[in-house]
Amino acid sequence: MLKISHVTKSYGEKKAVDDLSLHIQPGEIYGFIGHNGAGKTTTLKSVVGILQFDQGEIYIDGKSIKEDPLGCKRETAYIPDNPDLYEYMTGIQYLNFIADIFGVDADERLKDIRKYADRFELTQDLAQPIGAYSHGMKQKLAIIAAWLHHPRLIIMDEPFVGLDPKAAHLLKEMMHEVCAGGSAIFFSTHVLEVAEKLCDKVAIIKGGQLIRSGTMDEVKGDDSLEDVFLELEEEKC
Amino acid sequence: MLKVLVKKQLIEIFRSYFYNAKKNKAYSKGATAAYVVLFVMLMVGVLGGIFTGMALMICKPMAEAEVEWFYFALMGLTAILLGAFGSVFNTFSSLYLSKDNDLLLSLPIQVSVIMISRLMSVYLMGLMYSGAVTLPAVIVYWVTVEFSVKAVAGGILYLVLISIFVMTLSCALGWIVAKISLRLKHKSFITVIISLAFFGGYYFISFQAQRLISELLANAAVYGMQVKSFAYPVYLLGMSGTGDLGALFVVMAAVLVFFAVMWLMMSKSFLKIATSTGKTEHKVYREKTVKCKSIPTALLGREVLHFTSSPNYMLNCGLGIILLPVAGIAFLVKGKGLCMILNQVFWDRPGSVMLILCAALCALASMNDMSAPSVSLEGKNLWLIQSLPITPWQVLRAKLLLHAGLTGIPMLFCVICMAVTGICPWEQLLLSFVLGLGFLLLMALSGLFLGLKMPNLNWTSELAPIKQSACVAVNLFGGFLYTLLFAAGYLMTDLWKMGFAGYTGIFTGITFLLCLVLYRWLKKKGSQILAEL
Repeated sequence: MLKISHVTKSYGEKKAVDDLSLHIQPGEIYGFIGHNGAGKTTTLKSVVGILQFDQGEIYIDGKSIKEDPLGCKRETAYIPDNPDLYEYMTGIQYLNFIADIFGVDADERLKDIRKYADRFELTQDLAQPIGAYSHGMKQKLAIIAAWLHHPRLIIMDEPFVGLDPKAAHLLKEMMHEVCAGGSAIFFSTHVLEVAEKLCDKVAIIKGGQLIRSGTMDEVKGDDSLEDVFLELEEEKC
Repeated sequence: MLKVLVKKQLIEIFRSYFYNAKKNKAYSKGATAAYVVLFVMLMVGVLGGIFTGMALMICKPMAEAEVEWFYFALMGLTAILLGAFGSVFNTFSSLYLSKDNDLLLSLPIQVSVIMISRLMSVYLMGLMYSGAVTLPAVIVYWVTVEFSVKAVAGGILYLVLISIFVMTLSCALGWIVAKISLRLKHKSFITVIISLAFFGGYYFISFQAQRLISELLANAAVYGMQVKSFAYPVYLLGMSGTGDLGALFVVMAAVLVFFAVMWLMMSKSFLKIATSTGKTEHKVYREKTVKCKSIPTALLGREVLHFTSSPNYMLNCGLGIILLPVAGIAFLVKGKGLCMILNQVFWDRPGSVMLILCAALCALASMNDMSAPSVSLEGKNLWLIQSLPITPWQVLRAKLLLHAGLTGIPMLFCVICMAVTGICPWEQLLLSFVLGLGFLLLMALSGLFLGLKMPNLNWTSELAPIKQSACVAVNLFGGFLYTLLFAAGYLMTDLWKMGFAGYTGIFTGITFLLCLVLYRWLKKKGSQILAEL
């Protein structure tokens, strides 16, 4: 579903991502962990076409993000670490805008908006301007918008930040549901306990380089993910 | 701490002159100097030029009538009007609605220090506009009437005191707006309507200015005496400009007292207003049937929503939407008389009347400038258009369509009004409309070109991209200059011999050629820039 092949991205002299390669299969929940500034967000932004990378290739469902960016973006949904949405729109206007861009059928979008907004208890607020939303409400709206067009690949940057425990639990459920349908999720997180319980596979990045990846058992063995992560951080120092 | 905050505020205002956001690095000294010189030339050349003309017209006659103070009073009141004009809502936004309010208030910084740093941008804006009147006023006085230590010191103090008074007045009005705003429900449109009332008053006075000035000059001494008797503070303001020590002292004291009262008033309520969310009606969502839109329609809808949700955007970049129909209706009423007068003035240059009307049409269209700040206004939401399955060109095209639609429709109304009068020959009117369309397209394209070349995506108040950015100033004044060039070429050179159709036809051709060049640039290079911002 997502193939990152030898991707390198530099900011001036500094290599933010250095020869990174990952392969994410359909139906997988793939966690991406690393300390602040390790290159997680740069990688995720490169995958969704926001950042141009210097070397390597990224394929989404067999299509190159460089050669067919629109084809790739049609299959993808992205939720950034800070949900800066159009504050001049109401929640429902925003959802309809996203649905229009992805060409979602009117009946189908109404059904999905009703379903997800009810689950997140956001229905009553959909007529409110996004400017009046709290951080958590914006995050919920961004999640609904991401799910609205049934993407084959969902990219999320710290998706649990700002969500209340109930919404976080719901998101985890939705992640399992969507992957059971054959889609894949690639997300970054600092919450190692969540990654450990939720992910099928995990990749650990440091200084832009991949230091370990694989199934959860392959990466952590009998230890906890936190122990492995801290050990790897120290080893590389 | 104050120094740091003031520096932050100044960096935000002047960022686009020094910093290339696209390349993520500072401009070269040469490029920075060029931008600054261009901006100063536009401010001094266009706005300063208008008030230098006014000063030259009234200074000497009033000095000869021995009412120099009346000259300074008039120029001072004009400066105060211009400085405070339109800045009411800007002051409100700058002082109370900055996006970094929460961050700064959470830091160990005194509220008064935050207020002072905010006041700095209000002061600079007021100084820029009031200075465009007071600076020519004092210089013309020094050159034509008196150049002495007393006059120079008085002139400088007069300039400074007026700029402080303008800031005080703007803040007081901004405070009132803030108080009212907290109780309003449909803020955007009420703000626009009130502002338009201000504009209406301003333009009414502007149209009457020539007649009023002639009347004043003819009876300067009589009016002077009346003002002195019934409006003594105005007399003192005028006297301060001449360097009268007593008047300077009183005016200075009054300005400082006003400032202190305003400061007291603001400091008592700043925290409450800056952190208040105001009254918002909680609309409950009711599910409705949805009509699916195509991508271009959805993107255009997004632009329309953005434009109509922001009073600042509408007022600063969409004045032509109102002025074009108003001009059309005014032409229906007064068109015949106006054309007769113009015919008498330019009887020796056939086609001049139609050319002036055509130039006026373009000048009014140039008041619409919504494409210029539109790229910067994407701000932190830029990730959305970059991650959605849409091409950068589709985004740019929606911005162009907004500009073209909101200018083209009012322009068509204006031209229909002109046609209804039957004064203008239809073929000349049609040609004027074609040039008008070309001009509005050029304004839209050049606005986007400049917006992409000088983006400012890291603003904390939307006023920064709308009102304080170089691209908006260059596009707006560039539009005025283009119109001026069009009119001056015909009225002041021998090009009139080509006839209206020939001259306008060539200008239209050049305009569309420029449009084509910009269009191709935007489609290729501009799209690439937007994708990589």
